[in-house]
Amino acid sequence: MSTAIGGSTSALEPLFAFLSYVLIQAEFVFYKIPGSHVVARYVKSSHQNDPGRTVLEILLALFAIRTLLQSRTRADNGEKHFIQFSEKEVDELVDEWTPEPLGAPLTPEEQSDLASVPVVSGANGPRPKLANSGKQVLNLASYNFTGLAGNEVIKVRAIETLRKYGVGSCGPPGFYGTIDVHTNLERDIADFLGTEASILYSQGFSTIPCVISAFAKRGDIIVADRGINFAIQKGLQISRSTVRWFDHNDLKNLEDVLLSVEKERRKRRGPLTRRFIVTEGIFEKDGAMVDLPKLIELKHKYKYRLILDESISFGTVGRTGRGLTELYNVPATQIDMIIGSVANTLNSSGGFCAGSRIVVDHQHINSTSFVFSAAVPALLAVSASEGINILRNTPSILSTLQENVRAIRAVLDRVEAITIPSHPASPIIHIHLRSAPTLSASTSVSAKPPNPATPAPRDAPSFDIAGEERLLQDIVDEALAQGVWTTRARRLRGQELVEARPSIRLAVTAALSRKECERAASVIKAAVVKVVTKRK
Amino acid sequence: MPSPIALTSPPRQDSIFKKRSPSYLTAMRSAQSYLIALSEADARARVRDSASVTSTPALSLSSSATTLSEDTVLNDTPYDNSDGLAYPTVPPTSEHIVSADHLQFGFCPNENYRYKSAHKPGTKLEVHEQDPPYYIFLTTYMSYLLLICMGHIRDFFGKRFYPALFRHLLPFDGYAPLNSDFDSFYTRRFKTRIDDCFSAPVTGVPGRTINLLDRESKDYYHTFSLTGTTTRALNISSYNYLGFAQAQGGCADAVEECLRRYGVSTCGARLEGGTSELHVTGEALVASFLGQEDALISSMGFATNSTIIPALLSRGSLLISDEYNHASIRFGARLSGANVRTFKHNNMKSLESLLREVISQGQPKTHRPWKTILLVVEGLYSMEGTLVDLPTILELKKKYKFNLFVDEAHSIGALGPHGRGVADYFGVNPRSIDILMGTFTKSFGAAGGYVAGSKALIDRLRLRGHGGTYAESIAPPVMVQILASMASIMGVALPTSSAVEVAQQHPGPAHPSQLPAWMDLPPTLRDGSEGRMRLRRLAFNSRYLSRGLAKLGFITFGHTDSPIVPLVLFNLGKMCVFHRMMRARKTPIVVVVVSYPATPLVTSRVRFCVSASHTKEDIDTILRACDEIGDVLDLKLLPGERWPLERIMNNAAELVNTDD
Ligand SMILES: Cc1ncc(COP(=O)(O)O)c(C=O)c1O
Repeated sequence: MSTAIGGSTSALEPLFAFLSYVLIQAEFVFYKIPGSHVVARYVKSSHQNDPGRTVLEILLALFAIRTLLQSRTRADNGEKHFIQFSEKEVDELVDEWTPEPLGAPLTPEEQSDLASVPVVSGANGPRPKLANSGKQVLNLASYNFTGLAGNEVIKVRAIETLRKYGVGSCGPPGFYGTIDVHTNLERDIADFLGTEASILYSQGFSTIPCVISAFAKRGDIIVADRGINFAIQKGLQISRSTVRWFDHNDLKNLEDVLLSVEKERRKRRGPLTRRFIVTEGIFEKDGAMVDLPKLIELKHKYKYRLILDESISFGTVGRTGRGLTELYNVPATQIDMIIGSVANTLNSSGGFCAGSRIVVDHQHINSTSFVFSAAVPALLAVSASEGINILRNTPSILSTLQENVRAIRAVLDRVEAITIPSHPASPIIHIHLRSAPTLSASTSVSAKPPNPATPAPRDAPSFDIAGEERLLQDIVDEALAQGVWTTRARRLRGQELVEARPSIRLAVTAALSRKECERAASVIKAAVVKVVTKRK
Repeated sequence: MPSPIALTSPPRQDSIFKKRSPSYLTAMRSAQSYLIALSEADARARVRDSASVTSTPALSLSSSATTLSEDTVLNDTPYDNSDGLAYPTVPPTSEHIVSADHLQFGFCPNENYRYKSAHKPGTKLEVHEQDPPYYIFLTTYMSYLLLICMGHIRDFFGKRFYPALFRHLLPFDGYAPLNSDFDSFYTRRFKTRIDDCFSAPVTGVPGRTINLLDRESKDYYHTFSLTGTTTRALNISSYNYLGFAQAQGGCADAVEECLRRYGVSTCGARLEGGTSELHVTGEALVASFLGQEDALISSMGFATNSTIIPALLSRGSLLISDEYNHASIRFGARLSGANVRTFKHNNMKSLESLLREVISQGQPKTHRPWKTILLVVEGLYSMEGTLVDLPTILELKKKYKFNLFVDEAHSIGALGPHGRGVADYFGVNPRSIDILMGTFTKSFGAAGGYVAGSKALIDRLRLRGHGGTYAESIAPPVMVQILASMASIMGVALPTSSAVEVAQQHPGPAHPSQLPAWMDLPPTLRDGSEGRMRLRRLAFNSRYLSRGLAKLGFITFGHTDSPIVPLVLFNLGKMCVFHRMMRARKTPIVVVVVSYPATPLVTSRVRFCVSASHTKEDIDTILRACDEIGDVLDLKLLPGERWPLERIMNNAAELVNTDD
C-alpha cells in the first residue's frame, strides 16, 4: 500500500518541513543516549525487503529528506533513458502502437488437451461416473488417498455446520472471520502432528508461497531442491531471497551446497541472515521421498531452518497418516515449518502451516494470503477436523492404502516400457516412458559439481516433451476406455523453472479393494504395452 | 407450480454427534420463531392453494420445524432481547412473508426503504474529499512520534531487564531471528496495544448480527483466553453485502441437498481429476450473469488474482495498477515478471499522463514497444469506498488500446440495478472490459473467485493459470451456494423459454438449464423477487448510512452508493476507543478499524460494510451510536449543514432519494 499522504496535505508542506525538522532533532538527541548503532541498523535494515516498516519510520523522522530523495530518484530514472517527445509525437506513437492480443487462442492440440479432461457426474470418489461417457470407472486420478470422499459421517457433520454457520465466512480472519471451527481445526492439526500451533489458509496451493514470503526476505538465503513443486517455486520468486539449489533429493549434494554457502558468507564477511532449507516430503513432481532424519541432521549442523512441504505426504504415510514425521519417528517440533494440504489428503479445501507458536503468530500478521483473504468456509473446516478424527481412530485406512500401493507397484514395476521414479511407499505413482530420452549428454558425466546458483541440473536429460505427452495421453485414453481413470501429470509448460519429464500420475486410494487395484494396474499395464508396441 | 423446498426435502437425520435436544419445542414459544413459523406456514398455504388469497395462517407447525430446528434464536434460548437485536421493532403480521431469521437477515417490510443502485448518466462521480482542521494532523503525527519514542524506550530497557522476552527477536545460537526487533517494531509497539480490536473469534452465521466469543487478556493483549460466554452484536463489518450469509432459506437448503449428493470435495485440481459437472454448470451461469462469453472459477479469491495475472502477462508486458489495488493483485503482478507502474488512486489525469509516457517511451532501456499493456483497477475499493471511474477509463481505452482488467471483488452483486457490478452500475456493455474478475466471498456468502472474458482468453487461462493444474477446485457445497444465490439475483426463466433467447438478454434471467436439474429453489428466489429486494435494500442502506453520517458532521470517504463506508478517525488512539465504545453499548456493534499500513498514515478509519440484511432501524442504531461517540471523540469535523439525529431518522427516504 502506498504511503503517500495524498494531495490533500500538500498545502501543509511548510508545516511538515518544520515538524520533521523537529522530529529529526528529537530522534537525533534520543539516539545519542543509547548509542548510535540503532541508526546504523535503520539504514541496514531498510535494505531488507520490508518497505512498510522502513517507510513508516522514515516518513516520520526524515520527511524532508525523503521528499528530496524521491524527486532525485525520479530525475535519475528520467535522465538516463528518457526521450523527450512533443505532444504531437506522443500522439503519433500512441496511434502507431498496436498491442498483441491478450492470450493467443488455443492451438488444436491444446484444445484437444483441454477437451480430454473428464468431467465427473455426481459425487467424485473411488468409482465415479464420468459425464463424457456415462460410464462408471475405477478412479486412480483424483486425490482421495484415504477414501474420505463421500464419507457419510463427514457429510452429516458438514450439514450440521451449514445449519449453524451458513456457508461463507464473509471476512478475513482479522475482521470477524476467525470462527471457532477454524481455531478447532488449527488445534486438531497441531495436536495430530505434535506441534505447538498451526495456521489455516484457504487454499492448499496458495499456502506455501505466502509462508515462505512471510519469513524469507531480500538478502536471506534459501537452499532448495531442484525438483520442488510449482507452488514452492513461486514462493521463492516472491520472497526475492538468494536461492541456492541442490540436486533433486540428493542430500550429499545438499551438504556441499550448505558448505559453499557458508564459505561464501565467510569470504564476504556478510551479516548473519535467515537461512532456510526448502524441500518436500514426497515430491509432487515424481513421488520421491526425502530422507528426513538426515535432512534434520544437516539442518541442525549448519543452523538452517527447515520448511517442509508435506502436501502429499501428510495424511498418506505413517501409521495413522501423520506424515513423514510419523514414518521416520522424528518429533514434528524438529521441523520449523510443516506445510500441508487440507484439500489433497483431508478431502476438504485449504492448507496449513504447523510449527512453533512464534512461527504461527508471525504469519497471523505478515502472511499476505492469510491477512488479505477470506477465511475458509466453516463447513469445510469442520469436514477437515472430522477427517483427522477418522484418521486418528482408524489406522487400518493407512495400512490399506499402503497395501494398495504395493499391489499396484507389484504389477507396474515389472513393465518393461516404463520407469517409476516414485518411492515404493508413495501414494502418488509417476510413470515415465523408458526408452525415450536420448541420454547422450548424461553418459559423459562431468566431474564438475552442478552450479548451485541455477535451478537447471547440470546434465539434464533431454526428452521430447510433446511426443512423450502424446504417447502418455494415448495410454491414459486407452486405460479410460477400459474403465480405469488415470491422468497425465499436468504441467505449466513454459512457466516452470525446470521442465519436468512427462508422466502419468496415479493417485492410489484406500477406498478401492486390493482386487480392484490389481485389476486397474493390469489395465494400465496392458494399455502401456498396447500403445508402446503400436508406436514401434 | 413447484412446491417449496421445506415440503420436499427429506426428513432431517439425527446427528450421531450432537444429541438434538427437544429444546426447540420449548423454544418454539419464543415469540419470534413462532411468528416466523406462522408466516412460513402461511406462505406455504398460499403457494399450495394459490386460488385462495386468504391470509389466515395454516397452523402446520410441525412441518415448519424442519426449517427452524437449527434456528440460532433457539440455540440461544431463552433470548431476552435486552440488546434489542432479536425482534423487529415492527413485528410482522400475517400479511408478511418472513422467511429468514431476524438475527441473520433483518425483517424490513417498508417499501420506502428501497433504492435502485445506478449511475445517473451525465453526473460526475461524486467523491467526498474533506480535510480536517490542521490540529488533527498535528496531533496524529505527535501520537505516532510519542508511540515511537515509547516503543524504543521500552525496547531499550526490555532488552536489558527481560532478555528472555526478546530472545526470538535477536540472533540466537547462530540463527538469525525469524523476525527482527526492527521489523516487528510496528506490530509490537503499535498494534499490540489495540489487539483487542482485531481477530476477534466468532461463532455462528456472520449475518445481520454476529455472535462474538468473549475473550479477556491479562497481559496487555499479548495473549487472550476465552471466557466461555458470548455476546451477540450488530454486525456492520462482514462482507455480507446481499445478506446471503444465512444458515436457512432456499440457498442453504440447496447446499444441504448438494452435500448429500456430492459430498464435500471434488478431490483434485480441475485438470487432474477434480472437475465436476457442477463446475461446468457454474461457469456457464457466472458467464451469463456477467454478460461475458465464458468464465473460469477458482477456489480462492486471492489466488484468482495471484495465479491468473501471471498467466496473462510476461516479460515485455506492462501492468498499470492503481496505487490502492489489493494485495492479491500486487502479488500476481510480482509473480508475472512484467513491469509494473502505478498511478494515483482513481486519478484519470495521472493515468492518462502515465499512459502517454509509457507508450511513447516503450520498454525501459530498449525502447521497444510494449507487447501488451494491462490496466488493473478495482470496481470498488475496499478501504476507500471509491468507485472506479469506468466511463472515463473506457474512453481512454479506446484511445490508448490497453487491455482492461477489473477486479470486482466488492462490487459484484453489490452494485448496479441488477447487481452485475460496476458495468451494470454505469450502464456500459460488460464486453467492453476484457477481463472481469471477482470473488464469491462477499456478496454471495460463499468462497472462491472467477475471471470472465472471451472464450479464447478463458480457455487459454484454463491451461496457463496456475490453479487449473495445481490448486484444488472449488468445493461442491460452495459452488452450489454460488449457483443458488446468483440464480436468485437473476431470477430463473420459465423452463419453456428458449435457452438461446434467454442467453441473448443481458442483464436477464438464468435459464433452468444453467442450474442443476435437482436444484429446487423456492418461488421467491425463482422469480427473482427476493434477489431484487436484497439489491434494493442494500442500495438504500448504503446511501442512508453514508449520507446520514455526513449530515451528522462526520468525514467519510468514498462514493455515496458504495456499501463500504469509511468513517475517518485520523488519530490512531481514537481507533480502539471507538471500537470499544461501539462494542460496549447496550446494543453492541462490531466495527472494523484500520490504520497504517492498510491505509495512509494519517487517515486511520473505521470501515462500515453495509448489508441488505440490515433494517432501516439497524442503520438508525448505528447512526445514533456514531452520533454519541462522535461527540465524545471530537469526530464531527465536516463543515456545512448539520441535521440533528431525529431529523435524519425521520427523513431517511428523502435523504436517500435526493440527488446531489
Ligand atoms: C479487491 C480484492 N480482490 C481480491 C480479494 C480476495 O478475495 P478472497 O477473500 O475471496 O480471497 C479481495 C478480498 O478482500 C479484494 O478486496
